[in-house]
Parts: sequence; C-alpha cells; structure tokens
Amino acid sequence: MTELLTGAQVMCRVLLEEGVDVMFGYPGGAIMPFYHALPEFPTLRHVLVRHEQAAAHAADGYARASGRPGVCVATSGPGATNLVTGLATAMMDSAPVVAITGQVPRNMIGRDAFQETDIIGITQPITKHNVLVQDVELLASHLGEAFAIAREGRPGPVLVDVPKDVQNQKIEYEGRSRGVPVPAKRLPAAPADLREAAELIATAQRPLIMAGHGVVLAGAYEELRCLAERTGIPVITTLLGISGFPESHPLHLGMPGMHGEVHVNRAIQQADLIVGVGLRFDDRVTGNTAAFAPRAKIIHLELDPSEVGKNVPATVALLGDCRTVLRELLRAVGPRDCRAWRAEIAGLMKSRTEQYRGDLSPEGILQVLDEETEGRCTIVSDVGQHQMWVAKLYPYERPNTHITSGGLGTMGFAVPGAIGVRLARPDEPVWAISGDGGFQMNMQEMATMVQEQIPVKMAIFNNGYLGMVRQWQQFFHGRRYSATPIWSPDYVKLAEAYGVAGWRVENADQTRAAIRAAMVVPGPALVEFLIEQEANVFPMIPPGASLSEPIEGEPAPLVPA
Amino acid sequence: MSSGLTLSVLLEHDLVTFARAVGVLRRRNFPVKSIAVGPSASPGLARLTIMMEADQATGDRAARQLEKIIGVREASAFPARDGVARELALVRVRAGREHHAELLDIALLYKAAILDEFVDGAILEVSGSEAFVLSFLRALDGFELLEVARSGAVAVERTSGLPVPVTHTSEAVP
Repeated sequence: MTELLTGAQVMCRVLLEEGVDVMFGYPGGAIMPFYHALPEFPTLRHVLVRHEQAAAHAADGYARASGRPGVCVATSGPGATNLVTGLATAMMDSAPVVAITGQVPRNMIGRDAFQETDIIGITQPITKHNVLVQDVELLASHLGEAFAIAREGRPGPVLVDVPKDVQNQKIEYEGRSRGVPVPAKRLPAAPADLREAAELIATAQRPLIMAGHGVVLAGAYEELRCLAERTGIPVITTLLGISGFPESHPLHLGMPGMHGEVHVNRAIQQADLIVGVGLRFDDRVTGNTAAFAPRAKIIHLELDPSEVGKNVPATVALLGDCRTVLRELLRAVGPRDCRAWRAEIAGLMKSRTEQYRGDLSPEGILQVLDEETEGRCTIVSDVGQHQMWVAKLYPYERPNTHITSGGLGTMGFAVPGAIGVRLARPDEPVWAISGDGGFQMNMQEMATMVQEQIPVKMAIFNNGYLGMVRQWQQFFHGRRYSATPIWSPDYVKLAEAYGVAGWRVENADQTRAAIRAAMVVPGPALVEFLIEQEANVFPMIPPGASLSEPIEGEPAPLVPA
Repeated sequence: MSSGLTLSVLLEHDLVTFARAVGVLRRRNFPVKSIAVGPSASPGLARLTIMMEADQATGDRAARQLEKIIGVREASAFPARDGVARELALVRVRAGREHHAELLDIALLYKAAILDEFVDGAILEVSGSEAFVLSFLRALDGFELLEVARSGAVAVERTSGLPVPVTHTSEAVP
C-alpha cells in the first residue's frame, strides 16, 4: 500500500520506523516543512533546546546512555554550524548520532543563498558519513541508511542534509523498505591470532588488561570480568572505559595516563603484556608513545582496523567487537593467576591524601553523592579538573554510568548531555557535574529542562578559575594566570530566575543536606560547590612526557630572579 | 625505510566520495606526491591512484583509513616497484621556426606526439614513468615551456594472476 506523502512526512515516518521516540532540535527556515509535519506524529517527542550545540550533545548523551542512535535537528546555515562541536564530540567518542539539517532549496545551492552553508563539506571530517539528499526518491533510504551507519560497526555521527524543496516534494511512500545494508568491512579474528594471544596471556609474567570505551559500546562487561577473573590479570580502565568494570573489584587498578594514579602508570611501564580491549591508545593514555610500556607486547582487541598500529604497535590484533572477540578469546584462555605481579603492583601503591585547603574537597562531595544516591546514579561530567576528580574519586560500580566527553574534551557537554541521558534513563537519577567554566558554556539549557520537565540534577564545582588551564599555567607557564580567572554569576539566583531550585555549598557539612534537597525536588535542581580555588589534580604526567615521569605534588614556589 | 608506495583505491565515482578520500589523506597527514582519478572497469566506480613517499606500514594505515569511508569499495597499498605506473604530460612549448626540427628530434626520441603545431611553438604529449616524463621535460630545457599539465601517475599492481606487461619500448630511450 502506498501513500502520497511529503518529504517531510517521509522523514517523520522513517524516524518512527527506526524506533525514535525523542529528538532534540531547533526550527528555522530551511527545516520548516519538517516541523510542519512533526505534530502529525505525536509519538515523536521533540525537545526544543536553546542552542543547536546542545541538541547535538543531548542526542549524544541519549545515544551513549541508551545504545541507540540519538537524533538532533537543525536548520541550514547557523543552525547546522552550531551542531559542529557536538558532532565532533560524538565522532571522537564513537557515539551513534543522526543529525538532520535543513538546506536551502536545490536550485539555490551554490549561490550563497540566505542561510546557506556547505554543511556536508564542513562536517566531512567529523562525521562517520554525511549525505545531501538530492532527490526525494532517495530520502527514505538515505535517512534509513544514516541510522544503520551510525549504529553499526564502530558507531559515529551521520548527518543528513535535506533541501527545503525536497522536504516539500510529494512522493508515493511504501513504508519501510529495508535499505541497502551497510557492507561489513571487518574481518573475524583469526584462529592463529587467538591462539597466539592465549599463549601470550598464559606465559606473561606481568600482564595488564586496559579496558576502553569499546567494552561499554559492546556491552562486554561480563566477558571482561570473566577474562580478568579467570586469569587474575589486573584491569585498568581508561577515561571512557570507566564503569566498564566494577571499581570495588579486587582486580580493578584504576585509570591510566596523564592523571592516572602513579601505581597504574608504573604497572604499565613494568608490564610485559598489555591486553588492550576496545581502546585506541590515545595520547592522554600513553603519554610519550615512544616510552610507553617499553617491555610490553600488546594484544589489541579492536573493532576498527584503522586503529590497529595507529598509535602503538600491536603484537597481535584481534578484530571485532569486544564482546565477540572476548568470547572467542575466552574459549582459548585457560586459568592462571597473577599473585606475584599483583603483590608487586600493591608495593607500588602509595597512600596519598588529596591536598585541599578548606574542608570542601571534591572527594568529600563525590563520596556524599554516592551515599545519597545509594550508588544508583549516572554521572555526566564536563571537561577539566572536576572531570578528573569525578573519574578518579567516584566509585563506579554499574555499567555505563560514567558519561563524559573524552576524545574531544568538549567543555559545555555535561548539562545538555545530561538532558539526553536522563531521557534515555527516566528512572535513574542523572547528575551533570561541571566546572564554573564549562557550566557557563551551556547553562542556557536550564530553560530546556524547565520547559520539558527534565529533572537533571546539576552540580557546579566552582573554583573561580578555568582550573585545568590554570594548573597547566602553574606547572608549565611560570604561574602566569592568563585569562583563567573567571567570574561567575550568582548561580542560585540564576537557577531561581530559570525556575530551577538551587543551593550553594560553602562548607563540607552543608553538602549532604544540599544534595539530598536537590534529589528530593521533582524537577531540575542545581548545587553550587565553592571549592578550593587553586586545588590541583595529582598526579600529572606533563604533556609529551612518559608515564614514568609523574608530577606528584605542588611544584616549588617560583623564586624571583 | 621510506620509498615509493602506490595506493590504489576503488570508490564511487562522485565528487563527494573523492573529496572524502582526499580529505582523509590530508587531515591524517599522509605524504601524498600525486593523485590521479578516472573511471574504473566497473560502471559507477572510479579508480584513484595515489603515489606516496612512505613505508608499507604507513601505506597500510592509509588504506585502512580510506576503507572506512562509505563509498570506498577497496583500498590497497603496494610498493611502487610491484606495480606498473604511467603518467601523461601535455606541454605547450615555444619554438621559433628555426628550432622546429630540434623540437621534432626530441619528440621522436621520447615518442612524444605532436598534438598541435603553430608558428612559434607546439603542443606535445608524452607518457611513461615519472622518471621518463621528467627526463623529457629536462630535454626541453632549452625551450620556453608555456604550460605543462601532468596527469599524475596511474598504476596497476603486478599480481601473480595476471600477465606482466612487457611494454618497455618508451623506456628504452636513455
């Protein structure tokens, strides 16, 4: 049975057929036919954001929390360009996002028409794929393929640019035609490679597992745990691998890299085998790659063949999604233990009390947050010092409960990202934790939360600085605090102006009451924590240095020349 | 060790896919020397030939990156010596009547076709390996070259399944 539909109606139908229940967007001239059709499809919830960047981050957050593509919509020109940061964020962290943009009518393309931008050209390097729909006959298949491409293999963002006249064209629509499947380009793990990997795992004296985002993307939690428990190999979780392995587990070691604990990085430097599970050996993880894990052979479990050997050489590459490959590997790996090695690592551990002046420490705040949510909470962090504290100090137990912008390091991600996360997890407390810098980048989205009744709880770690940059200035730029002191508005009053409940916490003894109150109010809520202004994140590997060269404490004060 | 490497890519024959392929080579900083593109044996698909100064591992990494592009069907890297590569050059050269004979001699030596001849010059066409084309251009040193258009090399791999062509005729010239 066919129906005569407009292109815009076809777009809505495809969204329904793809199982979309919510999208984040902002209307404008070139996408108006789509918005005209939207009310005819009441099950497609549209969340009006206050800036298109937030739409992309919210779609990203939704995707990461649900495992299904998140959808964002914008008009041509400035609407489309405002999506760019969000798409780049999703690209770097392999989040399945489908972005739909309006475009000027086809006969205007290339003539610098009003609000015309070559968004296909602009987003080419920051999308997994993008397409300008030149023909309404191809609209449904392009949009359907966009979902398939975003979802399949290594996920990523896909942008579909639809000229306004294509949205208005009429077409006989036959309903879902299963489009061309995305060709599978990956190779299965070879039996010989699996045997070699198993042999390396059996004979290594100092093996480590490094688990990355691939574990979360593939839902390979049980398989990872099984490998660790069968072999006794300690598990390191990268920033995006956090919550891929329970932190209370005796085999959990911590986070590696620039702000990784000293014993974790020392263990890497002494390891003779690294089993890398779904990570890309980012420079923030490896430090100077030439000096990274100098004694270690590397088994690289990776879905994307282009990642193998890109940053570090792999002794054995096992291609495929982490879950499948771990299962294959588990069939070949026998039981062993790593007692001597674990004892050696334990000897590397130092008890280090965090040094905060004043009693309101990030550690204390996060501990109370964990207690008050009884460990049932998804945290969306922003970028900077608080991000590292949240990554290192919050005890993540449940899978995929730590969501952050890792690869791109996008300040301003947390607040809109949390909107998407909360809509994907309506029964879970969702906390957006930001610094005072990142919060001010997208704080307008409080209005979205209020209008759409999305009860995100926001925490601001306010130290009056762009803290991570200030820390670098302190360590590497002679304490010249150039453009890092940052003024903030009165966040409690700001929240009030938006109709959001807000509290300010200046002392540790106010923490619990404020977090509890924020949890109890039915809508969005905000808690500002006035933390120590010049606290630093320790330890720190200087950029470009090896993992063996951590800074573990405050540098000596500058001596005047 | 770095040496001549050929990347051969089969991709959808449209500007968007071509731009994607070239874009990934640019932004990932691959050492590209030349690019040539044209139709392949399969309708709708183009063959893109990229010459790089790189080792095999770098070439393989470039191929893996290219293969991620929707619209790229296959990409492979092989040492230039394992393939046959040819490029074409068109040269518009100034030569007074008194030098036409000399120009003709060079053209004959390099099996260059004279596509057009006018009072004070000619348009020549030469094809061969990069070294051969460069040698031809050097031979024209005494003339004023008004315009040079080179295609960039196209190449096919010598694989065991196919006969190795023995077309050394144009290479026989010193």
